[in-house]
Amino acid sequence: MTERFVFESREEFLERLRALIDEGTDPQSIRIRMPYQVPEVMEILGERPDRLRFFALFGALTGFGSGLALTIYSVLSWPLIVGGKPIISLPPFLLIGYLLTILCGSLGAFFGFLLLARLPSGRGLAEGAQFPERFVIVVGEEEEP
Amino acid sequence: MRGEEQNITTATGRVEKDVLAALGRPGLRYLAGVGLCALLALMLFILWGGLALRGLGLSGKNHPVGWAMLITNFVFWVGIAHSGTLISAVLYLFRARFRTSFNRSAEAMTVFALLVASLFPLIHLGRVWVFYYLLPYPSERLIWPNFRSPLVWDVFAVTTYLIVSLVFFYVGMIPDLAIARRRLPGLRGRTYGLLSLGWQGTVLQWRHYGRLYLFLAAFATPLVASVHSIVSWDFAVSIVPGWHTTIFAPYFVAGAIFSGTAMVITLTIPMRRWLRLEPYITVDHFEAIAKILLFTSLIITYTYLVEHGLSLYGNSPFERDQYLYRALGDYRVLFAIMIVCNSLLPLTMFVRRLRRNLAWLFILGILVNIGMWLERFVIIVASLSHDYDPYAWGTYNFSLVEFGITVGSFGLFFLFFLLFVRLLPVLSMTEIKEHQ
Amino acid sequence: MTAVSLSRGKFFLLQLAVAAALALLGLTGGRGALLVSLVFWTALAQGSVAVVAVTDLTGASWTGPLRSELLAAVTMLPLLAALFLLLLWPSLDLYSWAAAPTAWLNRPFFLTRNLALLAAAATAACLFACRSLRQDPARVRFAVAYLFLFVACQSLVAFDWVMSLAYPWVSSMLGAYFFVEALYAGLALAGMLAFLLDRQRREAEADWPAARRDLGMLLFGFSILWGGLFFAQFLLLWYGNIPEEVQFVVERVSASPSRELCAFFLAACFAVPFLILLSARAKRNAGILGAVSLAVLLGMLAEKLVFVLPAVPVRFGVLLAENALLLAVWLLAVQSRERLLPEVGGKAEDRKTGRQ
Repeated sequence: MTERFVFESREEFLERLRALIDEGTDPQSIRIRMPYQVPEVMEILGERPDRLRFFALFGALTGFGSGLALTIYSVLSWPLIVGGKPIISLPPFLLIGYLLTILCGSLGAFFGFLLLARLPSGRGLAEGAQFPERFVIVVGEEEEP
Repeated sequence: MRGEEQNITTATGRVEKDVLAALGRPGLRYLAGVGLCALLALMLFILWGGLALRGLGLSGKNHPVGWAMLITNFVFWVGIAHSGTLISAVLYLFRARFRTSFNRSAEAMTVFALLVASLFPLIHLGRVWVFYYLLPYPSERLIWPNFRSPLVWDVFAVTTYLIVSLVFFYVGMIPDLAIARRRLPGLRGRTYGLLSLGWQGTVLQWRHYGRLYLFLAAFATPLVASVHSIVSWDFAVSIVPGWHTTIFAPYFVAGAIFSGTAMVITLTIPMRRWLRLEPYITVDHFEAIAKILLFTSLIITYTYLVEHGLSLYGNSPFERDQYLYRALGDYRVLFAIMIVCNSLLPLTMFVRRLRRNLAWLFILGILVNIGMWLERFVIIVASLSHDYDPYAWGTYNFSLVEFGITVGSFGLFFLFFLLFVRLLPVLSMTEIKEHQ
Repeated sequence: MTAVSLSRGKFFLLQLAVAAALALLGLTGGRGALLVSLVFWTALAQGSVAVVAVTDLTGASWTGPLRSELLAAVTMLPLLAALFLLLLWPSLDLYSWAAAPTAWLNRPFFLTRNLALLAAAATAACLFACRSLRQDPARVRFAVAYLFLFVACQSLVAFDWVMSLAYPWVSSMLGAYFFVEALYAGLALAGMLAFLLDRQRREAEADWPAARRDLGMLLFGFSILWGGLFFAQFLLLWYGNIPEEVQFVVERVSASPSRELCAFFLAACFAVPFLILLSARAKRNAGILGAVSLAVLLGMLAEKLVFVLPAVPVRFGVLLAENALLLAVWLLAVQSRERLLPEVGGKAEDRKTGRQ
């Protein structure tokens, strides 16, 4: 059995959602689509641990490590003193490491997001359940018109 | 306003309709603007071709002034890029609501300004076909770039900045692209649908989206400060008087945000009027952004005072002479214009009525950018013209080729921006709905 | 904490006593220690008022629940100005330029401009503090005026008090570095207060957890900003490698106490807050926030010491005693803020009645 609710306002939507959870509806069977972000929904449904930060952290550490590795490896492979600076000149190399930290951290977070949010989504690209203008709650199997 | 009134049943629907109205059929004046900008951009590429074929002798560069107008343009356009990230990321972290009015156009500006900026080192190279020497790639003779050189830092900084701001720009737009898909018919709707990756706005998607946006903002904020610091170090790590001074990094970052904010003002005031976005970009929002302009102008003024003051403080004749030369030497007129535009005129922003006067803000935005362009020119050219050895002094005058390339770069930038206005949603609709 | 509260008269007498004690310590036990303490506490006191001024100016809510405690530092500003006059006047021969004065660096001008700015900043701080506590709409104007004086004053602390010790060494960033560091110090003081007052505030203020988390975020952000500024300054000295410039760094990293102090302040002002506050859970924990803030403040003290040490000998016992005395004055000022700043009491009453 499928029930479908559509709301104009954020308050009515949250009220109905709270009521559904209080009635004992299984949160797994509730499908919600929202026109914009509503942080309260996550609280109502029970926040699960956030895994995206591990992607960001992993990317950032990889970037920093590879920046230092690249610079140090490349100067050691041809150890030539340039401009009176030491062969392993840490201050400039830290700079490269820092930039790659940010680059890989951001890309890590972005690709982690695509993975976790299941995008690109085949179901979303197909004709059917689109990004709505109003709040939509569907309880049960989703059959979109 | 066209028909489709029956679609507007809700306040949120009105936001969607107002913002997407810009994606309609272009008018004649718009097409004329695009044509003019495209011609200017074409001129840039033709002149660049000439410069590459005939050699850098076509530019006005000489001994001792080997870095001049092209490098000025590079610094200027990288600077313009900065306020995009500032408005999107820093104001997001500080939860300033007025960012919603500007963030999309500012982010677009960042991407376009970086694209334009990255042309200039390539033009300046002369033999552009060997640009890949700058990249670290494994060649069979194990020749790596010199990572101690600030020019290589620049490659890393600008590339990182371009990629991260593209990601940021795109991520911010995903939900809006899904709205465009829903509201536009036919092939256009399907294209926006593909670009939106099939975004549906489920709880799972929104939850990770919120976190992603926060992380990107957190990564972009230190990045924005470091990119222009690194640009400033192109100059400051050398020991040329007037370049080698420790305040250069914060000075350049503040200057970049200053000129970028001025450019945001210059672009959004006509855009708001032309696309009838007055209900969304209010005068209050302009007042808030004018305060950022004032704040950064004060930092710039502080730096001018410190730089020029300290040149008299120590006992280095070279420093003292360089700063006197800047203010009173061959480039004194440019220096005076720069002081008026960057330090004096922005003081009018202390007056509330002038902060809220859009005509004055628009003019001030343009004047500030003239001032900031001249500032970079004065820093670069005056220092090289007049360093340690009087035997090697000399002045610079630009050639028409360099001037044409500069004008063409503005054409290219405005071309990108005009296309953006017609092709992508210029305001973040989901954020406006969230704050309504 | 037990409720010790001093009246204005008693607090004034206490300050006089402390000034006398410090003068005695300073004149007998070496002047370097006094210079370090003065530089450090000027940054703390002016910085904590500046943090509130920035908050008021931007209409933010970060330091709302700690406003009156942070503003209590204004009562220390006259003391610091008096100490400057009492102690630096007789010891200006610490500075090498005193023997060969220049147009900018000469005794009368040095004293007048610094004293005038200290006094002006203290006055502006008092005027601003009263309006800020009353939530007067005109406070924004006073916040702007105070921040101008704060920036000017901290820049002079950097260029005059510290940089001219190593005359003719020049680093144009030092002024900006000092006033950013003073803001960071103000936030670290707020972090210490958040730890000390945590139990009491948790019951009294509904938005306390949010304020504490924001404070953690700001400390984290400032650790990055501070690290960036430090790096930007160091990189140019290191890269330029000009004898007259790099000498300043070489002197400090090649002799024993200052070399270890350098490592310590880099860890305490950057690495510790950055790595610890990276975690969201640490930002919410008052104990961790307090510990990190303490580390930051100790790091700053070490850093000021590194700036001064090679030029002027510092006796560590005297330095500790002076800082303990000044810390006691500050804690007493925070404790007695309701009597020292009459607006605080009034506002507290309003808050109580408002809630009931």
